[in-house]
Amino acid sequence: MEIIFSLAVGIIFGLGVFQMLRHDLIKAAMGFGILFTGVNLFILSVGAYDGVAPAYTTLAENAQISDPLVQALILTAVVIGFGSYSLLLAIINVISRRFKTIDSDEVDSLKN
Amino acid sequence: MENNFFVLAVVFAPLIGAVVALLVKDDLTSRWIGFGSSVLSALASIYVLVMNLNVGPQLYRMGGFEPPYGIVFTVDLLSAFFGLMAAVVMSLAFLYTVTCNDKAVKQRSFVSMFLCMQTGLIGAFYTGDIFTLFVFMELMVLSSVGLTAISDNKLGLEAAMKYIFISGMGTLFLLLGIAAMYASFGSLNMADIAQQLGTDERPFLAVASEIMLLCAFLLKGAVFPFHFWQPDFHTTAPTPVSAVLSSVVVKIGIYGVIRMETLLFVAEANIIGNVVLILGIISIFFGGLAALATYNGKRMLAYSTFGQIGFILLGIGWGTPLALAAALVYAFNHAFIKSALLMLFGVVASRTKEKTAALVDTVGVGKSLPGYVGLVYLAGGLALAGLPPMNGFMSKFALMRSGVDTSSWWLVGLAIGGGLITSMYMIRTWQSVFQRYPGETTAKLKDEGMYDKPYAPAILIGACLVLGLFAQPLFDVAERTVEQISDPQIYISATNPQTASASLEIVEGE
Repeated sequence: MEIIFSLAVGIIFGLGVFQMLRHDLIKAAMGFGILFTGVNLFILSVGAYDGVAPAYTTLAENAQISDPLVQALILTAVVIGFGSYSLLLAIINVISRRFKTIDSDEVDSLKN
Repeated sequence: MENNFFVLAVVFAPLIGAVVALLVKDDLTSRWIGFGSSVLSALASIYVLVMNLNVGPQLYRMGGFEPPYGIVFTVDLLSAFFGLMAAVVMSLAFLYTVTCNDKAVKQRSFVSMFLCMQTGLIGAFYTGDIFTLFVFMELMVLSSVGLTAISDNKLGLEAAMKYIFISGMGTLFLLLGIAAMYASFGSLNMADIAQQLGTDERPFLAVASEIMLLCAFLLKGAVFPFHFWQPDFHTTAPTPVSAVLSSVVVKIGIYGVIRMETLLFVAEANIIGNVVLILGIISIFFGGLAALATYNGKRMLAYSTFGQIGFILLGIGWGTPLALAAALVYAFNHAFIKSALLMLFGVVASRTKEKTAALVDTVGVGKSLPGYVGLVYLAGGLALAGLPPMNGFMSKFALMRSGVDTSSWWLVGLAIGGGLITSMYMIRTWQSVFQRYPGETTAKLKDEGMYDKPYAPAILIGACLVLGLFAQPLFDVAERTVEQISDPQIYISATNPQTASASLEIVEGE
């Protein structure tokens, strides 16, 4: 399981970084979202698959329970990632109307 | 130790104010509500600092769980020191907001976003849980992005977009570092992690996590290789926001580096110190020269922040008790000076019709402002350059003194040179804005009496003068802070009393 997870995290990170560096701002924003997913997957792989039963259930009496904290962390991280992703898309939306473009090279009026 | 309710009050009074401010229809009332809750937070933070000095570290355990399991706010002297600085500067920024004429501050969401920023800022200083640190930082980043996006300056949107990408990446790597920390130690409590880092062998993931945390904090502090977003973002934000961003928000990076050096990665303090020294001296020159060459007053001050952070990093890099105390005093003084100067440039810019802060457009604008504004600006410039009798002199003197003690002559010489650059650009802008007469290039001015009132910067510079003339109390607090943070066990035993009592039993058993 760990190998699959580490491969998945690596691939998602690679994809995210590649998307993030694109000229198209919307694609870059998607790269941001993908990177957040990669980090969430990394947090999940830290502890969720150590045990076999979910915590705080009747199943857990004899079996080894999996770590509930990582799931709580992901829940928080997902909400935060969703918030920043939607704020980013909203800003890009306004930029596309004000600058009439979403090419990151042309959104460049701030000069020294 | 008992829960101290005031710790919560400092962090969450602004959050409650944010909700109340959204319910009010009138924008001026909501700004006064913002000022009120910010002042409440500042008063509570003073109380927390005093309790810290008299009793010891203050705690609040959320939900009553015993550490290391629950979320805990641990306020030792370092947190209380930075929290007090942030709360006081924030409340004065709100005072400026009340008298501000920008369109942005009249938006309904402005006050609540600004208050959320204060919650994030102080929460990040106060928390003893590393994941909560991430949450508070992200709250601060998102609200400051929103504040800059609604700025009167049309380019604020572009700066906000740049910042959310870069800072989003920064917090992402912070989260990755935190996850690596959790993978290595199975704990998110900073005291618990510090204890395991102090005793156990170092897992590979912990080293990776150290690098990621350091990069994230340096990015927040806008230190040399991670600085490129900072001038854009600080220039285009609305005046009260940019005053806070450039003075207090960058100090989160400083706080994080100090925490890493003295609590989490004490064994690697030398490596962190050397990295920070090199980056600091590059920052001083890069920031100083860029400030000299730029065309816009606010941008000049933003670059100057970049340089001044370098001075603070020098103190952290030298790492002797005197140098650390000097760095803390420097951080405190710089917060007051820089916020006052940015507000003053906001006052000058608000006098012109297009609210421009470009240096060619503001020639002689100061002539149509009350006379004391020019004096206050000159005093602030002297303080920033480090000339007596202002507080900047005291902090720079202490820093150079500690550099001489560690006999790093090269760095001291370079730092003094960097300081001279500061006085060059400050005096130059003072002359052009307040001494010369309006020329052909000067922008059109508004009607007589239409400008943001400079009460808040005057109070701040007054505080700078007082801190310069009576510097001893601040140095005492800083010295006690350094005394406390040089022993990580104080923080650990304050947060986790069980582990401390366990070690006591061992001592008794012997």
